[in-house]
This record gives sequence, structure tokens and C-alpha cells, in this order.
Amino acid sequence: MQRSTTLESVPTGRADQRAVVDEARKALGQIILGKDPQISLALACLLARGHLLIEDLPGLGKTMLAQALARVLGLSFSRIQFTSDLLPADIIGVSVFRQESGEFEFQPGPVFSQLILADEVNRATPKAQSALLEAMEEYQVSVDGSTRPLPTPFFVVATQNPGDQIGTFPLPESQLDRFLMRVEIGYPNEESERELIAGEDRRQMLKSIEPVAGPEMLIALQSSVAQVHVSDALVNYIQALARHTRESADVEIGLSPRGSQALVAAARAHAFVENHSGVYPDDVQAVFAAIAGHRLKPSGNTRFRSPAELCQHVLDSVAIP
Amino acid sequence: MAKPRGTDGSLLQSLPWTMSALVIAILPHVPYLPFWITGAFLGCASWRYAVEMRRRPLPSTWTRAGLALVCFLGVWATYSSISGVGPGSALLAIMAALKLLETRRRRDQFVLLFLSIFLVMSSLLREQYIWSLPYLVGSVVVIMTAWLRMAAGEAQTTRRSFMNSGRLILYAVPIAIAMWVFFPRISTPFWAVPVDTSRATTGLSEHMSPGDISELSQSNEVAFRVTFDGPIPEPRDRYWRGLILTEFDGRSWSGSSAPIMSSRARDKIETRGDPVEYEITLEPTMQQWVIALDIPTRWSIPRTYMGRQQQLVHETPIDQRIAYELTSFSDYRIGNDLSAANRRWYSRLPEQRNPRTHQLARELRADAGTDRDFVDAVLRMLNQEEFYYTLEPPLLGSDPIDRFLFDTREGFCEHYASAFSVLMRNAGIPARIVLGYHGGEVNPLGGHLIVRQSDAHAWVEVWLDGLGWHRVDPTAAVAPERIDIGASDAALEGIGETWGFNAPSRLLHRVVMTWDAVNAKWNAWVLGYGPETQDSFMRWLGMENPNWRKMILTLVGLVVGLVMLVSVLLMLRYRPPPRDPAAILYQRFVKKSRIEPRTGETARVFALRVRETGAIPDDIVDNVTNAYLDARYGPDDEQAFKKLKRVVGTI
Repeated sequence: MQRSTTLESVPTGRADQRAVVDEARKALGQIILGKDPQISLALACLLARGHLLIEDLPGLGKTMLAQALARVLGLSFSRIQFTSDLLPADIIGVSVFRQESGEFEFQPGPVFSQLILADEVNRATPKAQSALLEAMEEYQVSVDGSTRPLPTPFFVVATQNPGDQIGTFPLPESQLDRFLMRVEIGYPNEESERELIAGEDRRQMLKSIEPVAGPEMLIALQSSVAQVHVSDALVNYIQALARHTRESADVEIGLSPRGSQALVAAARAHAFVENHSGVYPDDVQAVFAAIAGHRLKPSGNTRFRSPAELCQHVLDSVAIP
Repeated sequence: MAKPRGTDGSLLQSLPWTMSALVIAILPHVPYLPFWITGAFLGCASWRYAVEMRRRPLPSTWTRAGLALVCFLGVWATYSSISGVGPGSALLAIMAALKLLETRRRRDQFVLLFLSIFLVMSSLLREQYIWSLPYLVGSVVVIMTAWLRMAAGEAQTTRRSFMNSGRLILYAVPIAIAMWVFFPRISTPFWAVPVDTSRATTGLSEHMSPGDISELSQSNEVAFRVTFDGPIPEPRDRYWRGLILTEFDGRSWSGSSAPIMSSRARDKIETRGDPVEYEITLEPTMQQWVIALDIPTRWSIPRTYMGRQQQLVHETPIDQRIAYELTSFSDYRIGNDLSAANRRWYSRLPEQRNPRTHQLARELRADAGTDRDFVDAVLRMLNQEEFYYTLEPPLLGSDPIDRFLFDTREGFCEHYASAFSVLMRNAGIPARIVLGYHGGEVNPLGGHLIVRQSDAHAWVEVWLDGLGWHRVDPTAAVAPERIDIGASDAALEGIGETWGFNAPSRLLHRVVMTWDAVNAKWNAWVLGYGPETQDSFMRWLGMENPNWRKMILTLVGLVVGLVMLVSVLLMLRYRPPPRDPAAILYQRFVKKSRIEPRTGETARVFALRVRETGAIPDDIVDNVTNAYLDARYGPDDEQAFKKLKRVVGTI
């Protein structure tokens, strides 16, 4: 599965980098049809060095999105299907005794890839979940007393099925916080669905797609993203949003300072993807539901039925400075 | 008629506050309201809340109309009237509860909050105590908070609303004080508050039939308070005259049907010694009698005259607390001679009642040389024979004086005054009974005298040639200690004894005295701020010849000044965020577009709407929007700003 993707030169000019991003968006758009906002969000999440949680019903293309991201960005990919009998060793790897050398040899697990798809992460026991979540936080794993670094860049795309209730271990708020974004995919529109039904098999298409970038390119893009301009007016806006979530009677637990940081980072990446001169309020609004949706705890008697509705209400209540 | 819609739970935030405001507004009315109204109120409130919780539809128009009719008839049936303070507040309370059932929108809640304010205000028609002020402030804070909760919605925390309401009220305090001080007080109000006739009259009874009372209830309620300009007279000299009883039917005493004003009553008074100057704050009695120490020669209370028996009478019943200054003389003589007709009138007795008393009087009079000797003889008899002072006397039956003097010999001031007068009249000496108060307790903290209902007393005035109307207190002959220390002190000693030790009663005493002093000051300065006090206060402030025009002008000036002061303070405190030059340029574009950006609408979304209106060409809209975003949020401010300036110029 390991793929060498050393491009001969990594472009540093903004225009060249933009071209790469646009190409990536285009390629992803060919596979995941009619989901441009979600693609932008997923790309922005990776560019902001964040992990992604995709939450939706089965069959809406969660896995496909993760695989396409790995393929298009030229990252090594492995998939871990989370089940209730999954052990931490199944993720991290085990030391095996070699008869011929008389020594233990570490067999790296699937976590040693650049992009991990943790499928149905809420079906595994908290013990297995925490092995992955630790890797996400530390970018390294500890096995048999030694610390092994994970490859760079390292991304986790986890999927979760909100319909499953029995036999699942939903991630607690503190662990949800490790995911920069949570996105929902939703049903495709009529036109896209028609093409999905009648057109080429997406798995086949995926194999034929050429990567548009590689790990080095991605790292270069990430450092460019971190430099996107954030004006004072925009900082005021983000503060106003955070303050509103803390003071609103609809929200029990508002946005933490880490949440505000995440919002800025994601908005930067989104501005980069959208080719804005700086971070615009539009970028903040575009990523707000994905950033804040799983970080806000609505109060008991709120009239909003979903986190997205609540987030939209917050956006509609805060004036843009 | 609209079909009943389900509620959507959107009032869950503000409804509890609106309801609390209503509950607080109704609280002071509850003791006066019939139970069913309080019950109906609580029922309606819980019903409404449950409806909102479960997102159920509100009761239909017909249900509500039916309920309103039932409640209206209920009030009518309870009070058999719908006007007056009682039925009025009952109607207000029940209709506010029903209004809850059709509260659907913010507008309805406004109505409810107005109703709460009205209810709070109407509680003042019933009574005004010292704790009315904290109650008023508290209820206004809650009502204002409810208001803010409703207006601000979820954008504001409860705490913030609470603080804001407190701040708003603080801003209003100087204006309220100015209004209170300067709003002209009128001695005859234009309006009259219909007072509940059900309110019991406290104070002196206009009839006295001692034989029919087996137990005298001791009310600790304050009757009046007195502030003396000089030293406080000795307890034995504190006789507060109230009304005079002249008619006796063998069983009970009563006054002449209506007090007769007499211009000569005042002239008959001869005064000696030093005058006593003092001020009385009289609690409302619902009677016309005005209390004074002994014989007053000057009183500063309008529409009050001196009756034939030198008692002070007010033209109308005293239905609110009044304060008045008086000059009295303890050493005086009333009248030089009494006409034969008057002499007969003051000695009238019913035929064939109390025969044994008649007999006794004749014997004693025969033994005594003069009328004075006869008075002394009777007093001596009361003092030396087995007469007892008690507040729980036996009932006396049909010839009460006979039974009292010869059989039971137990009674309180009314018995002795009554028996003494009858004895006097039997001997042909004119006698009349004075009802009033005796003694009073000095409040060491306020320096004033408190006279309570339990200090009520009855004594006798007899006509003696050469002395005129002369005060005789037969109770003093029986129980001198009652006269020397006063009823209140006696009662207080009792507390110490029943508790078995002294310390708590002293502490209690001090607490009671402090509370009374605070109350007295409050009454004098706040509740008693009437036309006279206002007039003198205006003079003290330096206003010459105060009249209502001057006061209104001052008031308007002050209120305008204060509002301006608060506005300036608020303006100084408010620092508008520094305006971004790019934002100012963009604002010109917004104005040209003729539509308002919504809250939280980004420039790009706004641009889409502007394009729809077609007010500005599409390419200019895009150029301005992009240039604005670059200038405002992009890194290269200088260049982008120039561009924005240029494109805005093209509009």
C-alpha cells in the first residue's frame, strides 16, 4: 500500500499552490458528486492539520470520501474497521518473536499510515478508541516501552453512524474535541444520484485517478494556510460568536478558547481553498457548523432540533463587525 | 375566529418570568382575596405552563370567554359589587390569570407585565407600610427583568437581564425622588379612593356598655405617636382626650348623636401654667375624633373644630395617617357656670334603673357636706372597699351598675367610670365620661411617646361649682399603679415574668423600640409628607411662597436635567468601536442599495440580494463587495482600500 510520492519540486508560490488545491477539489468532485461544500470542508480540515469526523447514515459515501482524499492527495492509506472486539494491538501493531534472530520484532499496525480511515469508530470499546485517539493527539504511539513516531502528515478520518444506538460506545465530548471538524454528508441531489446509478463504478474510477499532490506538497500547503491573513475585524467576529455561544440561553456549554482557535484555523484553510485574500466572514460561517456543532452542548429546553440548526441560529444572531 | 394553533415552546424562556412578575404583583392582595381567586390564578398559571411545555394548543376562544364570564359572575357573587378596591383588585387578578391563557405572543406578555405593575400599584390603595418600599422596589426589579427576558430573549443571560433591570431602576431613582419631593401635594385630593367598608374601625368605640364585656382584648397596635417640643409630661398627667359620652340608658353610655360644633366651647377655657407644645401622628381611625392632650387651645389640623364638650372633631372620618401640631394646657378650668338646662341634661338618668346605686348615692351625699366632699367620699369608697381591677370582669346583667357596685366589684376603667358617673348623677352632680388614652410608652431611641390601643382609657369629668368641669379618674382610686406606669409598661413586665428571666424581654424591648422609632420616622418623613410638610420643606429649600406652579416648574426642570445627566453619563460610558474606513465606504454602498443587511449576513450574501433588486448594476455590486472584503479582511490594506474607494465612486 505504501506509495512513494516524492514530487520533483514542491511549488511555494501561492498561484501554484492554489492550482494544486483546485485540481484536488476537481478530482474529488468527480468521485463524490454534488457535495462541493463537504469536499471543501474535508480539504480545509486536512489543510488545517485537523482530524475529520464524518457522521452520517450508511451508504452516503463516507468511506468513499476518505479513500478519495487519500488517493487524490497521494497519501498512504489504511482502513481500520472498528468492531466491538477490536483490540489496541489491532490498531497499533504487535511485537512478534522471530525464531531465527531470537528477538522480538515490531510489526507495525494500520495506524502507521498517513491517512487512516477509522470506520464506525463508535462501535469499538473505549479502550480501542483511546488507542487511536492517543495517536491523534500525540502523533506517536508507545509500544513495549518505546515510542514510535507516526508518519507525517498524519490524518485520521473517522466515520460514525448516528443511527446505531445498540452496542455502541459514543465518543464523549472531550474526545469529540480532538476532531477539528465534524461533517455530515447527506443525500445527493437528484441529478448526482442519477449519475451515480447510471455512471461508472466509483471504485473503479478511484483507481484511475492520479494523485495531484504528495505528503511534501501537503506540508507546504499547510504552512501556507497558517499564514492566511486574519484581520482585527475578523478576530472581533470570532470573539463575538464565541461570546454569544457562552451567553446564549440555548447553549449550556459554549465554545472554549480551543474551539475559537480551531475556528480560526479551519476558517484560514477554507479561505485558502476558496482563494480569498484573507479570512472572510463567509469562511467563518462556512466552517462554523462543522467546528462548533460537536463542541456546543445545547441546553435542555432548547427549541433547536439539531446542532446545525443551533449553529445557524448563532450565525444569524451575531452581527458581523 | 382563528383555529387554535399548537404552541411552539418559544415562550418557555420568558413565560416563567412573566408569571413570577404576576405572582409577586398579586402577593399583597392574597390575604384580602377570596380563596377561589388565588386558586384560579394558580390553576391558570400552571395550565398555561403545561400547555407550553407540551406544545399543546391554547384553550379555544369559547372556553376562554366562558371562563371569563364565570369569573366575572364569581366576583359579583362574592362582593355583590364590581367597584371598590376589593372587587376591583379581585377582577384585576382573575383577568390577569385568564389573560395568561391567551398569551401567545410577546405583545400579550407586555399586557401582562403592565397588569402586574397596575396590581402592584393597587396594593398601595389598601395599605402603606414601611416594608411597602422594599416590596415595591423588588417587584419592579422582577417585572423589569421579565420585560428584558422577553425583549432580549436568549441573547441575554438571566443574570445579565437582572443586572440591567437593577441598573435601569437605579437610573430612575433620582427622578423618582424628585417627583416625590416636588409633585404638589393637595390637601383635598381630586380623586377619592373607595375604601373597603369591611375594614374594622380600630380605636375608640362610640358606645360603652361595660357590663356586656367579659374580656377586654389587648391590642398592641399603635394608636398614635407624640413628639413633645419640651420635656415629656409625667405618666400620671398624660390624659389624651378623645370623645365624650353623655347619655346613659341604664346599661350603656353613648355620645350625643352628632358632635355639635360650638364656637363658645373654646372661649370657656381658662388656662393656667405653661403650655405643652407637641405633635401627634395619628393612625387612621375611620372616626371623626381627633386626639389631644387634655385641653388644646391651638391645633394645626384643617377642617377640625372644637365640640361642645371641648373635644376635637374632624369634619370627615380620618381615613389616613395624619400629623398635627397642638398646644395644650394641663392646668385649666372649663366654664364658670352651667345653665340649669345643661345641669339637668348632664345629670339625666333613666327612671327606675339601678335602684341600689340610687340609694347609695343619696346616703353618701347626705353624709357629705359639699359636692367635693361627696366626690372624695366615693373615691375613698372605691379605694378602701374590696374593689378589684381586672381585664376579665364577670357579665353584669340588666342593672349593671347595681351589680357591679354591690356584687361583683371587679372591672376595668369603663366599669369604674360608668359607676362613678352614675353615682354623681344620682346625687345631682353633672358628670360625663371621657374616652381617650392614658399614658403611653416613651421610645428612648426616637424620643417620642407611643400610645397603643391597649392604652385606651375611660375617666369622668364632673361639674363642681367654682372648679368647672373637673377631671376625676376613679380607676386611679382602685388601681393607682395602672395610672402611674401605664398599661403598656405593665404588659411588658408581664412578658419578663412569664419567660422567667429578664434578658430576652429587654432585648425584645429594644428591638420593638428600634422598629417603632424607624416606623415613626418613616411615617413622619415619608408617609406623612403632605401639603404642610411639603410647604415647609419648600421654604427650607429657599422657595419663596411655594405654590403648585413653582413646584411643577421645578419638577419639570429637575426631571429634564436628570434625564440629560443620565444620558450624558451613558454617552460618556459608551465607546463606539472605532469605525473602519473601509466599513464607512461600504456603508455608502449599503445605503445606495436601499435594503438593510440582516444580522449575521455576510457581504457576499448581501451582494446576492442587492443583485436581485437591480438597484445597482451587477458588476459594480461584485466589484464593491470584493474590494470591500479585500480591504477589510485582506492583508494589503493600502492598495485594497484605494481600489475600494475607486469602485465605490463608480456607484
